[in-house]
Amino acid sequence: MGGGARLSVDGSRSLSRFLYAHPRGRLGLLLGPAVAWLLVFYVVALAILLLTSLWSQDVFTAEIVRHWNTDSYSKLFSGQNGLWLRVFGRTLLLATIVTVVDIALAFPLAWFMARVLPPRWRTLAFLAVVVPLWSSILVRIFAWRTILGGSGVLNTFLVDTGLIAHPSSAFLYNETAIVITWCNVWLPFMVLPIFTALEKIPDSTLEAARDLGASTWTMFRTVVFPLALPGVVAGAIFVFALTMGDFVAPQLVGGGSQVLGGAIKDRFGVAADYPFGAALASLTLVTLMGFLFLSRRAGALENL
Amino acid sequence: MTTFLRAMLLVTVSCWVVACGSDSNKKTTAVKGPDTSGKGEGRLNIVNWEGYADPSYVKLFEQQTGCKVNSVPAGTSDEMFTKFRSGGGGQYDLVSPSGDASLRLIKSGAVAPLDTSKLSHFKDLAPQLQSPAFNTVDGKNYGLSFMWGADVLIYNADVIKTPPTSWADLYSPKYKGKITVPDNPIQIADPALQFFGASNPFQIDQGTLDKVKAKLLAQRPLVRKYWVLASDFEQLFKSKDAVIGAGWPLMTNDLQKAGLNVKEVLPKEGVTGWSDSWMISAKAKHPICAYKYMNFATNPKIQAKVADVTAYSPANTKTCAVVGAARCKALHITDTKYYDTIKYWETPTAPTNYRQWTDTWAEVRG
Repeated sequence: MGGGARLSVDGSRSLSRFLYAHPRGRLGLLLGPAVAWLLVFYVVALAILLLTSLWSQDVFTAEIVRHWNTDSYSKLFSGQNGLWLRVFGRTLLLATIVTVVDIALAFPLAWFMARVLPPRWRTLAFLAVVVPLWSSILVRIFAWRTILGGSGVLNTFLVDTGLIAHPSSAFLYNETAIVITWCNVWLPFMVLPIFTALEKIPDSTLEAARDLGASTWTMFRTVVFPLALPGVVAGAIFVFALTMGDFVAPQLVGGGSQVLGGAIKDRFGVAADYPFGAALASLTLVTLMGFLFLSRRAGALENL
Repeated sequence: MTTFLRAMLLVTVSCWVVACGSDSNKKTTAVKGPDTSGKGEGRLNIVNWEGYADPSYVKLFEQQTGCKVNSVPAGTSDEMFTKFRSGGGGQYDLVSPSGDASLRLIKSGAVAPLDTSKLSHFKDLAPQLQSPAFNTVDGKNYGLSFMWGADVLIYNADVIKTPPTSWADLYSPKYKGKITVPDNPIQIADPALQFFGASNPFQIDQGTLDKVKAKLLAQRPLVRKYWVLASDFEQLFKSKDAVIGAGWPLMTNDLQKAGLNVKEVLPKEGVTGWSDSWMISAKAKHPICAYKYMNFATNPKIQAKVADVTAYSPANTKTCAVVGAARCKALHITDTKYYDTIKYWETPTAPTNYRQWTDTWAEVRG
């Protein structure tokens, strides 16, 4: 028994000796699983997606036919009177609005949490921002349906206070409802990185700005915002990417008009039109990569 | 002992698979199903319409057979088709497609022919449902008919006092912002049948498709919401966001149970509908449990329970003995004339095919 134990100890010792002597082997062992994971679930999956968009399909049986063509892309850019470019433009606009609104909402909140609240309250505030993420996103979207609906909280309030005579249908099942819902459910992803960035600014930097005679606005413009920019960009990347791909909120609170995420889901789930769905998904990917590239060009990713 | 049982099971399953394989070569060979008197595999994975695997009877099935049921609902035929075929097709054992998906499943090789001698209630199905064209190909039964029904016009009777008689109400400005219709390309068949005189609304030419598109585009500003799941529809009626819409008897049933004054009608222009079958995957991992479930689901007592949950019509005529004459008449169980008035969902292939329908639907949505 003792011999066996000694043997295994020797074994693990020689392994650690080997790893100590071979830094590359060490690196390989540490990175191997992560790289394999990325290869299989991201690179290969993305390659299949791209390939699918260049193949065609049997309409009746939905079997993929490996016949190379660019039909899906010509449909995407010029088919059906520009329908898909309109869907793309609409989604881009909604994602931009949601990102800008979330920055405007999150910045003051993050500032209050990071710089105004006494440190012992900070953790509690941090938790309050994170807690909604523990509940299902479906629940949070359904909550908006009960708030904005015909017999919802908002309409009941407005009718009871006499502001409107009849429940309004302007709040739910349209783009406004989608924007409200998205701004709400993605807000934590914007607050947290901005909070982290603001928390790191030393008090002395702000005091120096004051001592040099900067007004509040000048201080915000020349000191606080540039230092918080990496956090803002990180948040913007999260919110923009989440918005570009989401189909749940549009399906539950949106109107007739399609957004990109819903259109992709319907190409796969309803129309069983995989090549065209893959082409739409590739367009989303390229857009997000372009967005990341622009952020990098602006130097915003260096401090992440 | 367990090893022995497993080996037996393996033999049974492989015999069954081999039987299917050889069957596709020789048309006349009878299909041989698994030994359903044996013990099940302990599990069963199903893709089904909402209401087809309700806990009220699935629990009973699990107790009786020891087959644990994992059911996934689908909102449209296409979603059902896609889900069932996902991951190479071996993920699910059973599926409950309507006529518009069943032929596609057969043609794509996703489902296997059934051994009707192992289906204990096959002979009791209504005559037109034993070997209907939508689930039977080359004399082989790929599907066991289960439930059928019509797409009905549903309305809130508190708001709409005089019962509607025409589908035109779904296109009328008087209900602007209070209308809900399915978010489903097969919906194109409805205006084709009801307003453009298509005798088979699933086989329409480009001209009719264009007219339907114009009609649906005119309807779009009036629609409050295109519903996806039955629960969406019910929520719209509960919150009074919609007072009239196209739906299934399931929703009328659910909403009435919830205490709402909701009614349904079959408008004068005619209705589309569906006839659903149970089909087994060509790669089913739990064929014994699958056959057991098909036999369970078509048992008159269970058919009566499914009818209670969904308000759809059972395929098994013996259900009349369980539910009584009045309910038998209300559900049209033995009324073949009524059955024939419904235009059952088919996959459009010609003159316009299903891709043209889904593209048209996408243009209507915008």
